[in-house]
Amino acid sequence: MQKYKEKVREGFFVLIILLIAFFLNLFLVELFQTRTLIPMIFVLGIFIISLNTQGYFWGIASSLISVLAVNYAFTYPYYAFDLITPECVSSAVVMLIVAIMTGALTTQLKQQEKLKSESQMERMRANLLRAVSHDLRTPLTSIYGASSAIIDNYDFLEDDQKLKLLGDIQKDSEWLTRMVENLLSVTRINTEDVRIAKSPTVLEELIDAVLVKFRKHCPEHDVTVTIPEDFITIPMDAMLIEQVLINILENAVYHAKGMTELSLTVHTENDMAIFEITDNGQGIPNEKLPTLFVGYAGAGLTPTDGTRRNMGIGLSVCSTIISAHNGNIWARNRKEGGAVFGFSLKMEDTYE
Amino acid sequence: MNNKYKILVVEDEDNICNFMKTILHAAGYQTLVACTCSQGQMMFSSHKPDLVILDLGLPDKDGLEFIKSAREHSSTPIIVLSARTTENDKVTALDLGANDYITKPFSTGELTARVRAALRNAVSTSQLNGSAEGKFTLHDLVIDYNRRLVTMDGKEIKFTQTEYNILKLLSNHTGMVLTYAAIIREIWGINDSGSIKKLQVNMANIRKKLGSKPGDNKYIINELGVGYRMSEEGL
Repeated sequence: MQKYKEKVREGFFVLIILLIAFFLNLFLVELFQTRTLIPMIFVLGIFIISLNTQGYFWGIASSLISVLAVNYAFTYPYYAFDLITPECVSSAVVMLIVAIMTGALTTQLKQQEKLKSESQMERMRANLLRAVSHDLRTPLTSIYGASSAIIDNYDFLEDDQKLKLLGDIQKDSEWLTRMVENLLSVTRINTEDVRIAKSPTVLEELIDAVLVKFRKHCPEHDVTVTIPEDFITIPMDAMLIEQVLINILENAVYHAKGMTELSLTVHTENDMAIFEITDNGQGIPNEKLPTLFVGYAGAGLTPTDGTRRNMGIGLSVCSTIISAHNGNIWARNRKEGGAVFGFSLKMEDTYE
Repeated sequence: MNNKYKILVVEDEDNICNFMKTILHAAGYQTLVACTCSQGQMMFSSHKPDLVILDLGLPDKDGLEFIKSAREHSSTPIIVLSARTTENDKVTALDLGANDYITKPFSTGELTARVRAALRNAVSTSQLNGSAEGKFTLHDLVIDYNRRLVTMDGKEIKFTQTEYNILKLLSNHTGMVLTYAAIIREIWGINDSGSIKKLQVNMANIRKKLGSKPGDNKYIINELGVGYRMSEEGL
């Protein structure tokens, strides 16, 4: 159906261009009393048509029509067909060549563009993989090292030393879990058509789930929550949006040095729900702002602060998820100090 | 013979079996291990365990097969271990008859709490034969089933008929997750397209009346995209 509509649209386009060429020629013949411009105008028309339609069909069809039109209206005998003159045959050949070459050229161009965007995706994926492998190696090294240390020196280690090493193993595996959850989120979206399964989710329940999870990970940080009193449902893939909120909150915990207040607010604007996470930490360095959400795709693959908490991956996962929801995501610094991360989602009408 | 609860663990990863056996043993349970689905089915019928912990990704068959065959003639509680993070798999397993689920990776506390809740529920439903008698107490919340009265801190809270029914249903299955579909089936009987919204609105009202704030739901825990669970003391 879609294809059929497209064909009809292209047919109209071809018809209009040919009509314009035809009447322009009639007009020019009257104006300048010369026929030298006629083939040029038609060739131009064919060129435009081949450039803006799919494949070769319309280009070739319009060049044949043009030959007929020239033959019929603009060559002797006027307003009658005389197809076997050498003039007619050679102009037909020229127009056909123009149509075919333009068609070939545009097809090639389109293919190149597709290849380019594909290779860009490929590069992004490769970068993500490189960054992730780098990030995975550190906790794995630490888990491997700590557990071997305990096994090899079981009788010599004090109990509290063992406990410390075991605690490290636990912490590192928790971190690995979160990393893998992020990767799973990406694979959940990165299929051919970026379509996700949305279901109406109650805002209050979403925020509740996020807070419960966040408290488990970072029990020492309190989040001030402000959400509308009304019963609001938003169509979304709840697991993914939960991931976005957790990533942003944890990002604040790991990166906003000196933070004492962390707040999460949601408000509605027309048919959009706006989520904002605000902290009063050190803010985001200005040079990092433009590439914040493409973290791994940019140059700064290795974490600059020496820690392995490279949340660049977390934030680029966020932006992937939000754009899959057709929403927007942004980050800015506050005048009072600290940073605001926000995103918007399209909302359903409120119930009742 | 001893009177310890017998738990059958159906899981193909040796390492995971190992630490689960340790945890369950330390918590005072007797543990049996099966590495494949068919071995699990065999041990299930020969040993008659009190509870099954089932991994969904088994080498020979999908763990869902196990639930189906077990549910044909037994109501032994089944807790599903799932490495899959999508809600759909959990919901499918629960709707097929699994009693609860734990997502990998999980902590010791999580595992033993779920095991305890599942065993207690199995006992109470078989003893009470499904009917809810007496009182339910959780923190300062008391549900008096005979008088259809809900109080918090001694003060009565007024619930609509539907809200009360949902509350009663959840409190009858303390600590267990009930899927949206299961709750709707119990409360309204039929499941049409508007049911989930009706349930969500009723739950929102219940939360409001219980004074729950996001991140601070002492009574009803919401399992995003799956269902609801009445919290239990000491969790």
